[in-house]
Amino acid sequence: MNYALISLTAPLVSALLLVFLGYMSGRKHTGLWVLGGSVVSLVSAALALQSAMQAGLPQTINLGGWAEDLGISLRLSSLSALLLVFTAFIHLLVGTYARFSRHAPHQDFWMLSAFLHASLNALWLSADLFNLYITLELIGLAAVAMVALSGARAYKAASDYLLLSLAASLIYLLGVVLIYAQYQTLNLVHLASISSDNTLTRLALVLMTAALMLKGALWPLHLWLPAAHASAPTAVSALLSGIVVKAPLFILWLIWTELAPPELAKQVGPAVAAAGMIALSAAGWSAMRTPYIKVLVAYSTIAQLGYALMALGLLMSWQLPQLHIALWLFVIAHGLAKTSLFLAAGEMQGTLGTKRLSGLRGATQTVPVAMFAFAVAGGSLIGLPPSGGFLAKWVLLEPMLNQPQYWPWALGVLLGTLVSAAYIFRVVALSFDRARINPPDRQPDRAGHWLALLPALLVWGMALIGNQLILILAGGGI
Amino acid sequence: MTPELLIDLILALLLLIIAWSALFAPSRNDAMAMFIAFGVAVALIWARLGAPDLALAEAAIGAGLTGVLFLNAARQLPESGRTTTPRKSTIKAAVFVLLSVSLFFLMLTGPVGEQLTSPVSDTRIVEAMPDAGVSYPVTAVLLNFRAWDTLLELLVLLLALSGARQLYTSSHISKAPQVAAWPLLTGWTQILAPLLVIIGGYLLWSGSKAPGGAFQAGALIASAAVTLRIVGILPPLRWSFWLTRAVISVGAIVFLMVAIATSLFAEGWLNYPVELSAGIIITIEIFATLSIALTLALLIVGDHEDLRT
Repeated sequence: MNYALISLTAPLVSALLLVFLGYMSGRKHTGLWVLGGSVVSLVSAALALQSAMQAGLPQTINLGGWAEDLGISLRLSSLSALLLVFTAFIHLLVGTYARFSRHAPHQDFWMLSAFLHASLNALWLSADLFNLYITLELIGLAAVAMVALSGARAYKAASDYLLLSLAASLIYLLGVVLIYAQYQTLNLVHLASISSDNTLTRLALVLMTAALMLKGALWPLHLWLPAAHASAPTAVSALLSGIVVKAPLFILWLIWTELAPPELAKQVGPAVAAAGMIALSAAGWSAMRTPYIKVLVAYSTIAQLGYALMALGLLMSWQLPQLHIALWLFVIAHGLAKTSLFLAAGEMQGTLGTKRLSGLRGATQTVPVAMFAFAVAGGSLIGLPPSGGFLAKWVLLEPMLNQPQYWPWALGVLLGTLVSAAYIFRVVALSFDRARINPPDRQPDRAGHWLALLPALLVWGMALIGNQLILILAGGGI
Repeated sequence: MTPELLIDLILALLLLIIAWSALFAPSRNDAMAMFIAFGVAVALIWARLGAPDLALAEAAIGAGLTGVLFLNAARQLPESGRTTTPRKSTIKAAVFVLLSVSLFFLMLTGPVGEQLTSPVSDTRIVEAMPDAGVSYPVTAVLLNFRAWDTLLELLVLLLALSGARQLYTSSHISKAPQVAAWPLLTGWTQILAPLLVIIGGYLLWSGSKAPGGAFQAGALIASAAVTLRIVGILPPLRWSFWLTRAVISVGAIVFLMVAIATSLFAEGWLNYPVELSAGIIITIEIFATLSIALTLALLIVGDHEDLRT
């Protein structure tokens, strides 16, 4: 637990010191300062993961030593430790990109990204409904401020994002109030044992679910995402799509697997899974039709979240532990692949001087490394073996294929795969069109392109540690 | 019908009417005035419900500071005063009525109403109070039982300000024209501002045993700073000046230092030693008040000159 707290404190300290010191320490060193915080956070998160694995069961501490329904509890399970590692790793990677690539974001990026990192870590560790609300609020504000880093052209998207995110927070809060009024505790562990199926609980769950779906851009409440994610600076888009949308998903998973009575979860599960299935094809269709590179990547986030939503819905209705593993494998594989896709898309935009997909003609020749990164990461989104995306999809499909009555769900997964393949190959096919090459505006930035490739290679390497990951997710995760 | 119920019903009806007018007033100025009135009505309702802390915070932040923020923003917008088109208003109005009526009936009738009207028991808090370090339960909850929440709330304020800064640092919004202050306003402000600071200080001091505390005190001191800044007595609070940044971040920094210190030298994260807890809470509250006051002031009147790096 102490390592987890170090992992949480390190980015917070670097963010607060950045505010305190301003950029007095020199503009050059601002980034290194935050990267240092990420390294410390990553190392301690790894140690936390190791201790969580050894402990087996989730470790809980009651902050301040107060009783669990008076104070706030933090909980370190092997899943939350894994998410700590994942968050620190993506922040380190995107931070390195922001520091060393040509398209460096505004100086304020560093402070905001460190705050975002700390807030995400606080969320993964929280086991208290109201505390989760505050972490959501922090994440939302940091994300909006980071979208606004792009300058005036992003203000519309940022203000829409802000308003929707605040509205969603208030709806979530109303749900929390209803739960507290009924059970007089906010502690999730405690609530799991006393919650019962009644109108008030149902109302609270509906409110919280709607709010979290809005915040996490889960279909059908996803319409704000493409504008916000596509207009943000490249490094920010990678963080937002890679990790931030998973935070509401985590809470959604918590409330439906712990707070909600199992019988109710069983009834609601198919509806959630169906929303995921529609997201896969509907958002995939939009990705196929859009003329802009980053918007395509943003729509693909909504589509891919459909898999996670489907895994969650089926987990709720069938209560199989494999689906828990599938859900979190999707989250991690998608996080890595999407970081790579957004970095590659941003690099290609910058080098080729266009936001349009048509500008990617001949990209295999002009920006080969970035295009390779895009294709490789896209392969994981489609689920080509042996990538991380394939691993997750395999775990998800296994229980479906065993029972003939579940085959329609498998058909949904297949359809989603076809649609993802269609929009990824649309880009890849354009990039091989070397007859009508779009000449680049400037020399490719090698460091940036290789950094974009790194997470794509890692997601393909996930198969190598697949057993380990499954073991971590199975061990004391729930 | 008891007289109390009559008052409650009048307040509830008043709130609905004001909310309606604030949402659907055709002119911008009317809508802003109604929003301020809405804040006052909500504050009255909190007071009636026996939550003086919330009433104070709502009056200071919801009615006072947000009202100034609106007026200040409207000054910089083009003159056109209309807020909504009639047709859109009708649709919105229908949704508004439908939602409030259904929520109202959901809350008051059937099993939901029964569960909601049962009072929340606070025996746990009463039992823990002797170890809390302060004698006022709300302060004990905010700074001891659920201190981690409050630490994060301070970060929320800080992040809100960082977000507002982006509007000035990442693009070139032109500077708003400075309007000369009305002499009478300047005179009044010179009397009002010191009073506000004194009341803020009193609220901070009384927070450990009576309603009050860091947020309320910070909001009052912020409103003093805001009025002084508007009439031009206070110079710009520049972000690039180190003291501004220091004051903005000091609340969260001190709180985090307490958390780290308790986990290194005491029993754990934010687990204050009982004999020191009164001192720790007061220290945190003083620094938090400073941060809250300056952050709120900058959020309201922070301008081109203040927020650019």
